Amino acid sequence: MSRASIKSHFTNWREWELNPIVIKELRQAVRSWAVTGMLLLFLTVLFITSLIFLVGQSFEVSENIQLGGSMFSAFVVILAGASIFFIPLYVGVRVAAERQENNPDLLYVSSLSPFRIVLGKFLCGAYMAVLFFSACMPFMAFTNLLRGVDLPTVFLVLALLFLVVCAANMVAIFLACLPMSRPFKYLFVIYGIFQSFGIISTLIGTSFLMMRSGVGAMMTGKDFWIGVATGVGVGAALTGLLFVLTVALVSPPSANRALPVRIYLTASWLAGGLLGFSWVAQTGDASRMLAWTYPTFGVMMFALLATVSNADQLSQRVRRTIPHARWKRALAFVFYNGAAGGLIWVAGILVATFLITDEVVTAFPKSYATTAANEHWFATTTAYAFAYALSALIIHRRFLSRRPPKLAGLLTVLLAGAWAIVPSIGLFFLNQLSWKSVEGLQLGNVFNVAFLRDDGQLLYHLYFAFSWLLVMLVINAGWFMRQVRIFQPPVPVPVENAPPAPK
Amino acid sequence: MKVQVKNLRKEFGKTVAVDDITFSFDSGHVFGFVGPNGAGKTTTMRIIATIEEPTQGDILLNGISVCEEPELARRAVGYVPDTLPAHADITVHEYLDFYARAYGLRGKKRTQAIEAIEEFTNVTGIREKHLKALSKGMKQRVSLGRALVYDPDVLILDEPAAGLDPRARVELRELLMLLAERKKAILISSHILTELTEICNGVVIIERGKILETGTIDDVLKKSAPRRTVAIRLLEGNHHQNPQLLKELLQTPFVVNARDVANEIHFELTGDESAACDILGGLIAKRYKIIEFRQTKANLEDIFMNVTKGGV
Ligand SMILES: Nc1ncnc2c1ncn2[C@@H]1O[C@H](COP(=O)(O)OP(=O)(O)OP(=O)(O)O)[C@@H](O)[C@H]1O
Ligand SMILES: [Mg+2]
Repeated sequence: MSRASIKSHFTNWREWELNPIVIKELRQAVRSWAVTGMLLLFLTVLFITSLIFLVGQSFEVSENIQLGGSMFSAFVVILAGASIFFIPLYVGVRVAAERQENNPDLLYVSSLSPFRIVLGKFLCGAYMAVLFFSACMPFMAFTNLLRGVDLPTVFLVLALLFLVVCAANMVAIFLACLPMSRPFKYLFVIYGIFQSFGIISTLIGTSFLMMRSGVGAMMTGKDFWIGVATGVGVGAALTGLLFVLTVALVSPPSANRALPVRIYLTASWLAGGLLGFSWVAQTGDASRMLAWTYPTFGVMMFALLATVSNADQLSQRVRRTIPHARWKRALAFVFYNGAAGGLIWVAGILVATFLITDEVVTAFPKSYATTAANEHWFATTTAYAFAYALSALIIHRRFLSRRPPKLAGLLTVLLAGAWAIVPSIGLFFLNQLSWKSVEGLQLGNVFNVAFLRDDGQLLYHLYFAFSWLLVMLVINAGWFMRQVRIFQPPVPVPVENAPPAPK
Repeated sequence: MKVQVKNLRKEFGKTVAVDDITFSFDSGHVFGFVGPNGAGKTTTMRIIATIEEPTQGDILLNGISVCEEPELARRAVGYVPDTLPAHADITVHEYLDFYARAYGLRGKKRTQAIEAIEEFTNVTGIREKHLKALSKGMKQRVSLGRALVYDPDVLILDEPAAGLDPRARVELRELLMLLAERKKAILISSHILTELTEICNGVVIIERGKILETGTIDDVLKKSAPRRTVAIRLLEGNHHQNPQLLKELLQTPFVVNARDVANEIHFELTGDESAACDILGGLIAKRYKIIEFRQTKANLEDIFMNVTKGGV
């Protein structure tokens, strides 16, 4: 956006309009029995709970100085239960229904951009959370009249809970947009319900802890805020990732779906690296850097799977945006759709992570003993992952090229799984399976790297993985070079003469 | 706006719903899209409306590909599906309002557009009803209103007349003519062929995913029914002469396929109108008491019956 258009955007504030999806969803939510019913139930439960507390108190001889605090905790439990179970479920089910292919509604027949569609759904979840929170407000304000609760704690707990609900909404929207069959989605819903039990109990545990230890006192400390900010930051980064992924899922296949995801991941990787490094610099403890290294590794493994599932063929629409300048085109190759560029991107990030971690560890050697083994582990696993991925890629491109490219990702997983399981099954039938054999050297089995007893043997894995990778690189080189070569903006074709009128 | 369907193919697993079809139509055209059940009409229309993606081939709207630029294509296409989702929790007015917003109509412009459309499609009286509570015909109107609210250049209507009462049908017909006058390109599928003949200036006939005929109605009529049919009726009480007349006609030049249809003699004329005149003169000279001698023009229904083979 140019400066002028930004300025006119703000001077025309009178013409701002809410995201149409938010308006539609809220209108529907207000009418829906599910939402109204849930809200009524929620209020009833709150009311009964407060009655029980107050009546119980009147039978006590001594005055409970913590009454406000315990009531507040009870309300938080109810609020958390209602909003973490219900709102994501409601939002997710609605999105899933709209994703159904025979429903020519919202997600397809409108010119809203995928970004605005996902944002609209997300905001709608947030507004519903606000609705539930404000319904709870009078009860919470009431506890403040009693003793045992301080306002800062109330705000902090509620703010955190709100963020958790928003994150859960994003997870639900993401799952609803995944191209899966219904049974899988039901499985996810069930899993999600169990997961929310976990989230709720953690939340409640934390809030009880805060209540008891009086957050008011803690809040003055710098460490407390750093902790809160880190937690919120990590949560926001993950929610943002899900958001970007959902936008990619909702976008048409011809769009440059990889671009925003890769940019987002690269940016958060850089930000995380900087934060990790500043942490190391402050404490002088190099192992703090691993708080960045390991998550990067985990995320990149998923990214690798998604990348090999990319097609080679770029749509005209993407090709039209390929820049002409050489170095710009090289950058675009790495960030645009396509398996070849994606592999470079994943490899680049992993290698950079490895080198940076290594540098930091040598520069701040304090309290970091197990360097060598850890580094071998990192390098070996990465090499194995790429070897599997490249093997799957060549199998797909050579023999199954008419099948959808998703198959290459699936093959990667199958390959890794088969290599881990088949030898053990063989040993089982030979009656030789034991812990020893599992912990012994199994070249080619990436999981063996974690189980291996003898650190010395890790080196064999390292050599094996890299030789395999090398072979695969050579085999795939032709394919890769072809991808580089065809990564060109389309040659402008002379405009056709007007096609003949219908016969 | 020119709509070009190019070598379109769509497979659902092993079913080939649309098999390499190519046709095009332009602003101001109303094209009828006809074919037996399961011919692939809905599938083709859904692809034009960017709801489904083709397995092969493409559709260009003034050169914009629906596969490459679905967002742009969507702005140009108004799609009236054969069913409207039955939301229990949204009213007609809100539904139209949502679409107007989604297509970027703002403020007063939006209110006016919605009001005009509500009047145009005659739903003003039911604007506060929930979608679920609508009858089939009312839904059809809302669906049409939704497609029209952002004034698209191409209209794709999937059996819009199904479930409409006679008056509404006439209204729909007038409405489509009006839209064609406003230079919209319209593709309309229907099983009511007589109705299509009246409003369409072009037709695409499709069966089992393959195009059988396409072009302007006149061309198609000429091509697939080059002969005119003539019906002769004798005066009441002279029907016993029918077999004799039949024999007579079969020996006359320019006459083929003479047959007795419910006490009328029908035959196909291979010659021009003067040949018909000669035949009539000859028959009268032979003292047949002819009360009616009329040429029936082939219509879409005849062509449809001629070119399609039947069977789903
Ligand atoms: N989602 C789908 N999955 C599998 N097959 C489908 C799907 N949609 C359509 N088909 C098949 O594609 C073929 C064409 O269907 P389509 O709905 O386009 O026909 P139609 O011409 O609209 O028929 P009708 O006149 O009955 O509306 C049919 O054989 C149908 O079974
Ligand atoms: Mg149909």
